[in-house]
Amino acid sequence: MRKDLATALCVAVVLILSSILAVGQKKQEEHEPQGVNPAGGGVPAVSLKHLEAKSSGPTPRTADGKPDLSGVWGPGLNMGSIAVNLKPGEELPLQPWAIKLTEERSTPEAKRTDPKPNCLPDGVPREDPFPYKIVQTPKLIVFLLEGNVHSYRQIFMDGSGHPTDDLEPSYYGDSRGHWEGDTLVIDTIGFNDKTWFDGAGHPHTEKLHVIERYQRPDSAHLEFEVTIDDPGAYTRAFKIYGHSPLLLNTDLMEYWCIENGAQDLIHIVK
Amino acid sequence: MGTKLGFLVAGLVIAALPVLAHHAFGFQYDASKSMTLHGVVTKVEWTNPHAHFYVDVRDENGNATNWNMELASPNALRRLGWTRDIIKVGDEVSVFGAPAKDGAKMANARTVTLADGRKMVAGLAAESEKESGQ
Repeated sequence: MRKDLATALCVAVVLILSSILAVGQKKQEEHEPQGVNPAGGGVPAVSLKHLEAKSSGPTPRTADGKPDLSGVWGPGLNMGSIAVNLKPGEELPLQPWAIKLTEERSTPEAKRTDPKPNCLPDGVPREDPFPYKIVQTPKLIVFLLEGNVHSYRQIFMDGSGHPTDDLEPSYYGDSRGHWEGDTLVIDTIGFNDKTWFDGAGHPHTEKLHVIERYQRPDSAHLEFEVTIDDPGAYTRAFKIYGHSPLLLNTDLMEYWCIENGAQDLIHIVK
Repeated sequence: MGTKLGFLVAGLVIAALPVLAHHAFGFQYDASKSMTLHGVVTKVEWTNPHAHFYVDVRDENGNATNWNMELASPNALRRLGWTRDIIKVGDEVSVFGAPAKDGAKMANARTVTLADGRKMVAGLAAESEKESGQ
């Protein structure tokens, strides 16, 4: 009798444990990685999520008392459409031709011409699901970009203005920065018109003027506001907002889109 | 398990994956569906922008079909704990992912269960950038 009871108890324990394990397995399946938060803004790709700083401290400062923005940061914008990064309720003030062009870029065939999957630079402010690194010195701040192509932005902090002669239009433009209190302000002109703002294909022209304002309110977060002024494609200037998390225990890694890009592009759009 | 290389399509689960990947995942793969494939690795391509590996999946009659499994980029995979030799030719693996829209024998791997039982976050969906607004 006692043996039967012990056997019954053993069976019961096994059954209970099995059901717990089954539930656990189901929960694991239910929590398959979901990529990024579709709401965007400050939620990096899964491969970076676990690297986000879990705690924060005061804003680090350089010897001259300025906020030190140095660090490895996760992407801070939703780049499906820059419209997602507007204030709620706002819309992109596209000119009619820009609306038409964006619609034309919505087909899979047209997506072939998106510079990004063709392994060309993203321009500003488009981002990739990879980190970027800020290197800060008093006279020069450098943004090192892991992707979409390995590239960099130089922000000249020496008080010089944009060149007065004709700038050769470029993917990242000519950037001059200065401090307004604890805010780094970056003024950029001289863009070419070859990049798309986002996956939706929102265009811009060479008249694009971008003003970025960066703050590091604590050690673990970079907050930024981007004013996009392009009288060639938009009826007025507008602002988008981003939030980059500090990433720890990682650094920039190699990423060469071009290595096999043509093959993957064919896969994508065929 | 070792000899049971069944074509284990675990149903076309409506998984509501609100994600697109770095290289426009949504154009190639059907994010509304998911599948599990089980088979033997025949080739590994540790390449940018996306790594791939190929798996022979056998049906109930023992006929093998070779599937192309697309992963995230090597840098993203490294940050997820992968190494270039974590999958080798001959390994038996299970892949959970999204199938190609056009019926091609391709899938976007989201998790890969390795021969030793480790379950690795893998795919383009995992490496989805914020391209969800398309």
